[in-house]
Amino acid sequence: MSTNLAVSPVADIATLPDPAAQKAAVANLGIADQSLTPRHGCKGPGAAAWLESFGLPIPPQPNSWLPVDGGGLIARLGFTEFLVEGPATLIARLASTPRSAGVYPVLRQDVALLLGGARLDELLRQTCNVNFRPLDLAARPVVLTSMVGVGVTVIPELRNGQPAVRIWGDGSYGHYLWETLLDIAVELGGGAVAPHSFN
Amino acid sequence: MMRLPATRGEWIDRSRPVEFKFEGQTYKGYAGDTISSALWGAGVRVLGRSFKYHRPRGVLSLANHDVNALHQWADKPNVRADVTPLVAGMDLTAVNTFGSLADDKGRFLGKLSAVLPVGFYYKAFHSKRLFPMWERMFRAMTGLGKVDLKSPHKHTPKAYDFCDVLVIGAGPSGLSAALAAAAQGADVTVVDENAQAGGSAGYQLGNDNGRRQQHAELLAKVAAEPRIRVLTGTYAAGYYKDHWIPLVSAERMLKMRAGSVVVASGAFEQPAVFHNNDLPGIMLASAAQRLAYRYGVKPMDKAVLLTANVDGYRAALDLLALGTAIAAVVDLRANPGKAEPLAHLLRQSGVEVLSGHCIVEGVPGSTGLCAGARVAALRADGTPAAQTRDIPCDGILMSTGWAPAANLLYQATTRMRFDRAVEQFVPDVLPDGVFACGRVNGVFELERKLADGTRAGSHAAAAAGFGSASGVALPPESESPSHPWPIIDHPAGKNFVDFDEDLQFKDFCNAVQEGFDNIELLKRFSTNGMGPSQGKHSNMNGLRILARLTGKEPQQVGTTTARPFFHPVPMSILAGRGFHPERRTPLHSRHDALGAKWMPAGVWQRPEYYQLAGKSRLDCIRGEALAVRNGVGLIDVGTLGKLEVIGPQAAEFLERVYTSNYANLKVGMTRYAVMCDESGVIIDDGVVARLADDHFYFTTTTSGAATIYRELSRLNTMWRLDCGIVNHTGAFAAVNLAGPKSREVLRSLTGLDLSAAAFPYLAVREGEVAGIPARLMRVGFVGEWGYEIHVPASHGGALWDALMKAGASQGIRPFGVEAQRLLRLEKGHIIISQDTDGLTTPLEVGMEWALKMNKPFFVGQRSLVAVSHKPRKQQLVGISFPANHEGPVPLECNLVIEGGDIAGRVTSIAWSPTLKHHIGLAFVRPDLAKPGHTVSIRLTGGSMVQAQVSATPFYDPDNLKQKEAA
Repeated sequence: MSTNLAVSPVADIATLPDPAAQKAAVANLGIADQSLTPRHGCKGPGAAAWLESFGLPIPPQPNSWLPVDGGGLIARLGFTEFLVEGPATLIARLASTPRSAGVYPVLRQDVALLLGGARLDELLRQTCNVNFRPLDLAARPVVLTSMVGVGVTVIPELRNGQPAVRIWGDGSYGHYLWETLLDIAVELGGGAVAPHSFN
Repeated sequence: MMRLPATRGEWIDRSRPVEFKFEGQTYKGYAGDTISSALWGAGVRVLGRSFKYHRPRGVLSLANHDVNALHQWADKPNVRADVTPLVAGMDLTAVNTFGSLADDKGRFLGKLSAVLPVGFYYKAFHSKRLFPMWERMFRAMTGLGKVDLKSPHKHTPKAYDFCDVLVIGAGPSGLSAALAAAAQGADVTVVDENAQAGGSAGYQLGNDNGRRQQHAELLAKVAAEPRIRVLTGTYAAGYYKDHWIPLVSAERMLKMRAGSVVVASGAFEQPAVFHNNDLPGIMLASAAQRLAYRYGVKPMDKAVLLTANVDGYRAALDLLALGTAIAAVVDLRANPGKAEPLAHLLRQSGVEVLSGHCIVEGVPGSTGLCAGARVAALRADGTPAAQTRDIPCDGILMSTGWAPAANLLYQATTRMRFDRAVEQFVPDVLPDGVFACGRVNGVFELERKLADGTRAGSHAAAAAGFGSASGVALPPESESPSHPWPIIDHPAGKNFVDFDEDLQFKDFCNAVQEGFDNIELLKRFSTNGMGPSQGKHSNMNGLRILARLTGKEPQQVGTTTARPFFHPVPMSILAGRGFHPERRTPLHSRHDALGAKWMPAGVWQRPEYYQLAGKSRLDCIRGEALAVRNGVGLIDVGTLGKLEVIGPQAAEFLERVYTSNYANLKVGMTRYAVMCDESGVIIDDGVVARLADDHFYFTTTTSGAATIYRELSRLNTMWRLDCGIVNHTGAFAAVNLAGPKSREVLRSLTGLDLSAAAFPYLAVREGEVAGIPARLMRVGFVGEWGYEIHVPASHGGALWDALMKAGASQGIRPFGVEAQRLLRLEKGHIIISQDTDGLTTPLEVGMEWALKMNKPFFVGQRSLVAVSHKPRKQQLVGISFPANHEGPVPLECNLVIEGGDIAGRVTSIAWSPTLKHHIGLAFVRPDLAKPGHTVSIRLTGGSMVQAQVSATPFYDPDNLKQKEAA
């Protein structure tokens, strides 16, 4: 595929302010677009074994994730459904390998966002009825829920000591999701930032 | 001025005076005042007018339990003055007045009360002739504040919140419960509608320093407990399952999810019923205590206190200590009972205590304010003796009983029982995770409330998983805090039971006499409890009256339904931020750039048509359609549902869910697909493409995608076939390149062999278009040679750009939903849910050919067998109008009329620029369905128009456009 032709679902609206403004925003609540990160999905009774054959670690429990060598993650979204994000070479290999029995490829064209900052909890409480506060981040939880009326997958984590969440949703909701979350983030003193702002 | 010397713990800040206006006059209050307390402190006695008779009203409850004082503040209607914090610069007027509060022209209505009996509204509307007059009059006379439709939108985002234990009510029992729950390790949130915590412990003191100290210590303990969060100025507005409770403040709504709930909501003090019990100056004793202790306002100079419990004696001692003379304490009971020590203190202070007495009426002065109490001894039968005595006073305090604030308990499905020991309903069986304590639980004395709170808090914490439950329910109170009949009849009436609705005692008698002797009927007929206070001060007395009139026990009478919300909630708070999910295809910005006019399609936005400068909407739509017929057009069909089923039994799965055969579908081919529900009704359609033996890609309607995926997932789980379903609706962008020149355009972008032999009609191919991996299907929905091209969504924009560029030399034109509807209509293709409805089977729309009834099974097959043996009621047919037709044509949904009866309806209609006349689809009776038959259609205005039943397709009936020769 001509990856250079790929465009994020929020490409036309996810514009960034100047670096100083981003720095100020990320302290309160930054929101970054990561939709073009390479990813692959698969489901089916053979999915776990198939992914394992690529040397990937398999999260033992549904709704949990593990890191992938070379960066990225593998998230177990259910008993037999997985999302893999990682190096482009790995994702390309997964996507191009003919499917095996019991493996159903899932084309992941998500809107993928990264949100973080001191006021993240306020945004989450306005947008989602899951209580993220008591989640044990060491257990690497994956939350499948609804946010502002859209089905999303959420991974909570800490970035530089600040709470953060990675969010994946159907790309066709990307515009709505970005605009709604950005609107709230701005109200909370945050704004759009580049993903590396969280590093 | 009625301000008292400053006391410890008062809520006002005397260093911060606040200036405001009421009815055009300027007044001063203090920060921390409510509007009512500031006005009362400034000597204002009339705060509003009653709803029906426009009687002058003052403070009654000072607790949001009545609406005597409803004010308009700029664009905010119906501000509740008793509880709304005073703000500098407020300019307030009383609502429901004609002219002004002082000179309200509506007050003459009080003199007409004899001709305004209970149920007057209903009776007025009995006459059809007079209905319009009454309607106009009622609309003019009723209604409270004024809504300003130009008010700017207020941002009031809602938020979710979470706690282990939610305690509703920050009175002594609630705070005690919070401390007990926190001590067991639970995170506790306490919510209270008042501006500060403490509840009755802060003002029902009986001038007892020990109680003052206890109150202060309780607050200090709560403040020192890090596990307790106190939300004041916030009320629990309702109870929803799984302990989900909306908490409403002036700014927002919090949707609180609690592990368990303690309801310590207390009780509403209830007014006594006697003639003129609404005169300004007559108030609940607890209101007077709040005025004095919280706001440093002297309620009156001289009071008569009507009581039937120990609380009343405490109130008398409080006010006496704060400088209000108590002319007499009038006790409905034969003796003070447990209050005897307090009565003794009062007597020592020179206060007359009249046991076994009642107040027959409030005596108005020349200004209409309370000027005295007419008192009489009670006879053995509970009625007042004829001999009365007037006691001069400028205020009457009422403390004859309480009603539990049990609204949330009812909503939580608590079974309540009427307990004669306390003369109120108390929880009998509580639902899991819900606990009650304090007055709402029938526990009134302070030490007992604290103990009851500790018990409830411990049990609630244990229910939420913290510690183990300790403590047992307390025995009942030894003396009832509520009198069973605090009601005195009076020949002149005006003894109000419901202050919101001006309902008098006799109204209840009359309603019951007219047969409305059930609590729900009585409520609706009399409107008792239907005002803004929702019965907080009237339901209990209403229930007592009904019980006595019908000879029943209160338990038998029961209560009306307590619905959320607890208080009326501003629309802005209810609305919150407002989330309206909207889906967009990846081509949205392309459409915008091309001048798309948008239309909603479910949660999607789709281009209806593309606006060309100087062209009308219809010209644009017809131009787009002609471009497809004569050249090439491009439409975004990315909103279609796109599903895949993969696995050895994928074909078997499709055999079961669709009506046609798919096991015999060749790899590389597609087939139209119709889906029915169990009753044989069409619910969806699409195209199934076979990509491999065990791999199918199929589309659904735009609106059906999510529900069809959910239903197929359910069926697959149930059938346990060896296949899996993937929803790729949002993951693929899709366009339809259609028209006689479509192949030429596509050829320049792909290496696929596009010859009819290699890529025939209804074939599916996988390949690259403009370097993008794509699935291509040769479909004919619009009746021209065309390709539906599906690519990963992230590449949708690139595909569109490439096709538009490649087609530029061919005059390619984007077309929208309306042109597509027109084109498919020319072809006679139906649209599910436009040309079908919730009862339409394939048999009625000419799709017998798509039903493979010889299959072992498909969803709806059994019903269709049954339906096929019955005579059909309707048939979808083509209709057409002659080219020379002049005048209006029907609209979709206009009725077909035959012999004066409805014989069908139009489902689709449009003028065909290709055929040069109007065509349409319509349901008609089967006997009218023969081509050539003329049917009559009634236009919206009532006139009739004739149309001819026609065979479909209207355009290219032999499908030549899909063949190479064409």
